Amino acid sequence: MSRCKRAYDAVELNQRGRFTLVMLLMMGLLVLGLLMNVNIGSVPISAGEVLRIVWDGIRYSVINLFTRNSCAEELEQVIHASTQSQILFSIRIPRMLLAAVLGGALSVSGFLLQVFFQNPIAGPFILGISSGAKMVVGVVLVFVTPHIGTLSSGMMILAGFAGALLTTSVVLLFSQRVHQMSMLLVVGVMVGYICGAVTDFVVAFAHDYDIASLTNWSMGSFSGADWENVGLAMLVCLPGLAATWLLSKPISAYAMGEEYARSIGIHIKVFRLMLILLSSLLSACVTALAGPISFVGIAVPHITRTLLQSSRPSHVIPATFLCGAVFTVFCDLIARTVFSPTELSVGTVTAVFGAPVVIYMMVKRRKGQVA
Amino acid sequence: MKKMVKSGLALLLLICLMCGCTPAGNPAGSNDSTEPIRRMELKYATGFSVDYYQDGFKMISMADGGRFLVIPEGKESPKDLPEDMTCIQQPVENLYLAASSAMSFFDVLDRVDAITLTGTKQSSWHISCAVDAMAEGRITFAGKYSEPDYELMMERKCPLAIESTMVDRVPEVKEKLRELGIGVLVDCSSLESHPLGRAEWIKLYGALLNEEEKAEEAFQKQVDYLNTVLAEENTGKTVAYFYITSDGVAVAPQADDYVSKMIELAGAKYIFNSEDAPQRDSSTNKMEMEAFFAAAKDADYIIYNSTTEGELSGMDELLQKNKLLQEMKAVQNGNVWCGRENMHQSTTDLGVMVQSFHQIFSGQADQQDEVPYFYRLK
Repeated sequence: MSRCKRAYDAVELNQRGRFTLVMLLMMGLLVLGLLMNVNIGSVPISAGEVLRIVWDGIRYSVINLFTRNSCAEELEQVIHASTQSQILFSIRIPRMLLAAVLGGALSVSGFLLQVFFQNPIAGPFILGISSGAKMVVGVVLVFVTPHIGTLSSGMMILAGFAGALLTTSVVLLFSQRVHQMSMLLVVGVMVGYICGAVTDFVVAFAHDYDIASLTNWSMGSFSGADWENVGLAMLVCLPGLAATWLLSKPISAYAMGEEYARSIGIHIKVFRLMLILLSSLLSACVTALAGPISFVGIAVPHITRTLLQSSRPSHVIPATFLCGAVFTVFCDLIARTVFSPTELSVGTVTAVFGAPVVIYMMVKRRKGQVA
Repeated sequence: MKKMVKSGLALLLLICLMCGCTPAGNPAGSNDSTEPIRRMELKYATGFSVDYYQDGFKMISMADGGRFLVIPEGKESPKDLPEDMTCIQQPVENLYLAASSAMSFFDVLDRVDAITLTGTKQSSWHISCAVDAMAEGRITFAGKYSEPDYELMMERKCPLAIESTMVDRVPEVKEKLRELGIGVLVDCSSLESHPLGRAEWIKLYGALLNEEEKAEEAFQKQVDYLNTVLAEENTGKTVAYFYITSDGVAVAPQADDYVSKMIELAGAKYIFNSEDAPQRDSSTNKMEMEAFFAAAKDADYIIYNSTTEGELSGMDELLQKNKLLQEMKAVQNGNVWCGRENMHQSTTDLGVMVQSFHQIFSGQADQQDEVPYFYRLK
């Protein structure tokens, strides 16, 4: 018994050590990614200048936080002191923070669905979320905008959210009646197809410029990100992440089989509902704020599990979030700089890097099964 | 009684004196400066207006609600202006231009130098002033309208982004530009119902750049071209103006499109404008091929629209798009013309285009293979 316990403790220590190492690595990469993003852009700003401006901004922001905005004027002065500071605070920093938060959220969303469906290629958009969002955005662009005159970004975000949550509601409805996971997956895919068909119908009546706008939207982009978007993303995604982490133990039990989970007191129906709801909320937030971004939700959980050499949810969830943030931050950097001033859609870059990961995982899994 | 009269007079005097005080935020800071001295005379354009105030201040008001206060060089921006008003300090420079149809205005006004950034790549420009400026590095591509390079615009201290109506479909771009202190002027000249209304937008840019005289002169030239054509007899010919997409759908503009209007002004009948014209989608202008052919087969002339899918090299290329076209009267009579790619970017030559149309439809160009902006397909 003591030998078993010692062995168990050794494994546990090993896993914790690996987890700590991976988290440190991810945090280091994230910091590197953020530093690169803040330093690299169309306008050359020296690293020293960047550090000075950012340090002043952080300093006054922290002081304001604890002293009820006593340094609000100083902070404003730092932000508007020069063109460089405006570029940093109004363009680069909100964009990189948004990419980090949404990338992490999308990865966790993908992880949840992979757990739910026990399928390694399940992704955040498999339940038709991106199709639903695109459908409603298309309807707004083509049919609503001519009547209201001016379209605002808030309306586009609401439209994206509404579409995403519409499809989520349909899937949730079916999840109460359908007990087989494969059937629910089919329902999700079919819902996606229906939304796609409606979108094609809408496009038939669209002006060329509406089609161009819808196509641009559906490729995903962090361009134009502002602090309001960052605030909204954090408001939705961080509590979502926390709630997901709190589900670590039920997820761990569920991974060992429904019967086992049920036997230790987990209410399966409620648990499934929570999984779908959390996953959908996270991916709806991403879709609404940045459009559909492919492969992050599928590839990143795999990368994380490979690095951790563990599937323990309490480790995988925070690591997945960080890994997703790193992945998306670097992809966005590539998207906006490699052919500057032409900007690639971030979805293009994530697909280029994410798809090979998924293929590799599938091949490795298949080899394991054959062996 | 006398005291009351005196008090009343004193009060009246006080009121009169107070009325003479300057309210805060007047453009020129004088007694009647809230009232414009004059308004720019516009004969055809309805999408904007320009009011002139004392001391050289100008207010450009757009039909979409945009308001731009043009501040003369050496003057300061008035205080307490409404938030929705954008101030543009003269001399105007470092503009970002995404509305490609406006470039010709700057060319005619000899002020292409005011533009240093554009949302159109060099390969998509079809007017020489823009192509040359980009080749020489005087104008830089700064990202398309939906994803502009905000950093570059800020570095160049761009005061104003001149956008096309396509920017209305990406509201986050407009909001971001305004957040960064860059004004957004949406060029709605494409929404003008009269071709000369579209051409008259040169006066807006003339006001922006202090080149009103040149603008007026250039516009009047186009009016003169049009008047020459209007003085001539109606040709009685019928014309089909369209293009065929890569998936075989015919696209023909509505009757209120400026090209349709130009055809009518040139003394011909736009075939898709008649009462018995086939139905087509009002938003996309697409027509099912059968209906298109039924309407257009007896048209005397075909003008092929090359601005979307590029100029045609010859008749063979047109016939490859759909064999049915061979049966059309205009094809059989050799009366098929193609518009040049630069048609839609040459907004200052609409009067010339009407004249070219008239030359084609009246038979004056029967022995020619080319007129300004159009060439015969053989």
